[in-house]
Amino acid sequence: MSDGRARDRRGVLVAVVIGTALIAASCGGDGGGGGGGGDAGQQELVGLFKVDPGECSGSEISGSYFRMIQSGGKLDGPFVTNGDSVCKDKSYTALSPGSDGGLITGELQGHPEPPMDEQGNGMADNVIQPQPWFAVAFACTTNSPDMQSEEEVPAPTITFDGKGTLSGEISAFSCAWNGQFFNQGAPKPDGESPGLTSPVTGTYDPDSGKYTLEWTSTVVGGAFDKFTGVWHLEGTFEES
Amino acid sequence: MRRRLVSAILLLGIGLIAAPAVFQMFSRAPKGGEMINEFRPFMEASKVEQFQDYMAQIDSAHSETSEKLPAFASDNAGMDGETFDTEFPSTAAFNDQWPAIFKDMNDGMLVTMEEMVDNFAAVDALPPFPLFPFFFVAPGIMISLLAWSALQADKKGTSTRSRLKLLALLGIGLIAAPAIFQMFGRAPKGAEMINEFRSLMTEEKLARVQGYFLVLGAAEGELRNSVEPALGLSGSQLGSDFPALAGFHLDWGKISGDMAPMIGAMADNIDNYEAVDALPPFTLFPWFFVIPGVMVAALALAASARGPGLSGKEAFAAALPPPADATGAFFAGLKAKAEGNRASRAQSTEDVPPRQESETR
Repeated sequence: MSDGRARDRRGVLVAVVIGTALIAASCGGDGGGGGGGGDAGQQELVGLFKVDPGECSGSEISGSYFRMIQSGGKLDGPFVTNGDSVCKDKSYTALSPGSDGGLITGELQGHPEPPMDEQGNGMADNVIQPQPWFAVAFACTTNSPDMQSEEEVPAPTITFDGKGTLSGEISAFSCAWNGQFFNQGAPKPDGESPGLTSPVTGTYDPDSGKYTLEWTSTVVGGAFDKFTGVWHLEGTFEES
Repeated sequence: MRRRLVSAILLLGIGLIAAPAVFQMFSRAPKGGEMINEFRPFMEASKVEQFQDYMAQIDSAHSETSEKLPAFASDNAGMDGETFDTEFPSTAAFNDQWPAIFKDMNDGMLVTMEEMVDNFAAVDALPPFPLFPFFFVAPGIMISLLAWSALQADKKGTSTRSRLKLLALLGIGLIAAPAIFQMFGRAPKGAEMINEFRSLMTEEKLARVQGYFLVLGAAEGELRNSVEPALGLSGSQLGSDFPALAGFHLDWGKISGDMAPMIGAMADNIDNYEAVDALPPFTLFPWFFVIPGVMVAALALAASARGPGLSGKEAFAAALPPPADATGAFFAGLKAKAEGNRASRAQSTEDVPPRQESETR
């Protein structure tokens, strides 16, 4: 008699667990857009974040750009002056789209072999075009393992909260310059956020596909140890 | 007394095993090895000379940008000095800051590096840093095991002679090791290098050198991209009127390509340097082997002199008289004693009654 009751209870429990799992799975769903599920309303954007080129007009800049905060500086500077910048305000280095059109989420866009020429110029032109920096071009890609720390890192992910805001993980972002590699991801490959490193944030309009992405990443080691890269990408998202 | 001496050897062995842990050598020594590896490309006379050539080249360019170029701007573009500085702030910063940069880099940092090239080579010729802790641990383990084994043997009354002999040899080995690795010559050079680098291997110094790089790089870019086009300087005119500046442009990629990794090596090794600097002074390192070596050898020899423990054979041999005495009276005595024993055994046999049947059954 008691054995039968226990069997009944187990049966009910199994039914509840299976039912809950089915409900959870159906609620998670595809989430639309490009990708994976998660919390309700959250949507992983898997595809190409096309980069609009940076354009300088007077002391203003639009489109995508890069700046570097000097060691010991804050988010408002002082910034490094790039004598090779085409902008009037030479703390801005305008970026232009690479052969892939921009940053791809969900997969890696690695450095070529060799990643730099004999003069130390970065050779990768897939995410963005190499840009001169102190007479030597820097080139940025997404790699695993990370070229500087040699740690395994995931492919970039960007998540839309359904309310216009983007967040993400871009620890694989790395730049080659002058014979050295500088991880410029956020967080860093070890998951830490040293110095002024801040997570990827941004905006997204699902109707137009227009997006902005921003993050800061403090360099750990190398010639620019404790300098912080400020990245601003903007353009249009294309779901894969 | 002998046991106390051997116990002291055991303690010395344990001390050797513990020393690397006490001085955190397991974590610090590999950092020293990493620093040596990363400094190697820059601590060569030819490399330092190359950097000095770069400094001289930039110094010549500075003479032109700070004197001839403003005059050229005034003559050809009607630009006075103040306007020049306002229009071209990176060039102005270079003109202003270079003398101090040159003094610090050329007369300070590079001179120190030049003076320490031989010291670095001496340190680099030492056995690999990560092995350092094991140079203490390995003999420490051997000494401890032998001493412990000698104590056990002594307790059982067996021979300790061979163990004490090995301990004395180990002590001599420890004394000899620094001489074999030429540590008496190399370690003080390492100590001197560590002292000289103390002012270079700091966050403040790194930030200053990084700043120098920014001043140079920004000026080179501004001169090339803004100043010279604004003043209408063609490539050929630049080459003829400002040859040092033209050379600066031409070689900046190489200068930057050599300078950036050197700054990177500084940045990446500040913590490694601090770890090495926190070790006991290099000058003392040979004595960390010699002193325990002398003590182990002396204690082992002293313990041997106190009389080694005897095995059964050795005890029998020791009871025998010296060979010179084992003749004549000694053997006559033994013979008489043996005859006496035989007589007394014969007498006792006669006194015993015959055995009964039941007793033999």
